[in-house]
Amino acid sequence: MNDTSARDAAFRVRFLLATGAWAVIVAAALVAVPLAFKERLPDPLATHWGPSGGPDGSMPFAALVIVALVWALVAGAGLAVAARGELAVRRHARRWSTAALAWSGVFLLGLQSLTVAANLDRPRWEDAASPGWETIIVIAAAFAAGALGWLAGRPGPDRRPVSAEPAAEALVLDPGERSVWVSTVSSPVAAGLALAFLAAAVSLAACALIGLAAELWIGVGVFALVGLLGLCLSSVRVKVGPEGLAVSYGPLRWPSRSVPLAGIDRAWTERRHPSDVGGWGYRGRPGQSTIMIRGGECLVVRYASGGELGISVDDAARGAALLNALVAVEN
Amino acid sequence: MLLKLDLNDPRPLHEQVADAIRRAIVQGDVAPGDRLPPARDLADALGVNANTVLRSLRDLRDEGLLEFRRGRGVSVLRRPDPREALRSMARDLLDEAVRYGYRPHDVIELIKELS
Repeated sequence: MNDTSARDAAFRVRFLLATGAWAVIVAAALVAVPLAFKERLPDPLATHWGPSGGPDGSMPFAALVIVALVWALVAGAGLAVAARGELAVRRHARRWSTAALAWSGVFLLGLQSLTVAANLDRPRWEDAASPGWETIIVIAAAFAAGALGWLAGRPGPDRRPVSAEPAAEALVLDPGERSVWVSTVSSPVAAGLALAFLAAAVSLAACALIGLAAELWIGVGVFALVGLLGLCLSSVRVKVGPEGLAVSYGPLRWPSRSVPLAGIDRAWTERRHPSDVGGWGYRGRPGQSTIMIRGGECLVVRYASGGELGISVDDAARGAALLNALVAVEN
Repeated sequence: MLLKLDLNDPRPLHEQVADAIRRAIVQGDVAPGDRLPPARDLADALGVNANTVLRSLRDLRDEGLLEFRRGRGVSVLRRPDPREALRSMARDLLDEAVRYGYRPHDVIELIKELS
């Protein structure tokens, strides 16, 4: 065990050094490139182009350097998380972070090069050239870098989260009995916020209908989408029974997702908090996600396919015990 | 909340559901003050009609175990008192014994024989 932790610690240091070096190189390039061409660039610079291809927005020269600052903040926050948490030693999380770092670094560098190239040797920002096919190259290069980052994150340890709570109690199932476990968790605050968003969407729609501005429909769409998603995540019901696991969202219990017992590996409980998983709501991505309604005890289910789902529900220990017992009978 | 239904129990379904919920309260799955999952979720999980569950919940409320509050759902009021439950069963037993011509003394003898 100590051997493993020592290896993990050494790997974490190497990981931090490598990603830190990448962060520093990108930051240095983001500062050095504009400074090197400072004499040949107008101030302010064209930084935004309209649909016709002509520049329609500008920023002072210093803004280019601020991009480097933004990068330093983003990368620094990522590294801080990796230094403290388990990110470096969990393969899935590590791959996503290396991919994100590579993608965002190359994307920012590409954007900056495009801006510098378009403004180079122009007396005023209004005369800036319009970037064309170069934009596509930058986007493609960023995604290629992201893919490389994804591959680069593969080597290294993969520490799986272990049950933070004592082993779940064993349940004895009587074949003549139907055993089910059901638990609901809801957040009145989330429901209130979601309803406020929906109300805003309706008000905007009313304004748009009486002909204030057609652009309001964009706001209607965004508010309605946010409101509906929020409403779905304001209340979650989890059911464990002979049919398997079913997770249903929202006051209407729709959408709902069921997983048959054959698709479940095992279940346990873990203490998770919004600060661990990145906030409230649906956190993570399919296969490695947490439905965080409130901090504290969570039911964590590992699928036979390897993915994991955590749900912050009450009485999770009994749910995990029943799920394990049912899976044991099924097998 | 863990609920168990006996598939071969001939009693009416609402009594079985009430028993399952009562058992969950006795075993401490839900403590006094805790809210029960909504009736339709319980019904869906148990595979019974929502009205059946509502009837069980009302019976348990009449027993004084549950409390219905508008807008807050159903919550547990207190744990059932086993002594009280046995007392009502003992009263039924004595009533039944009288019908067969047994006196309380005879019933006590019978219980001693059995235990």
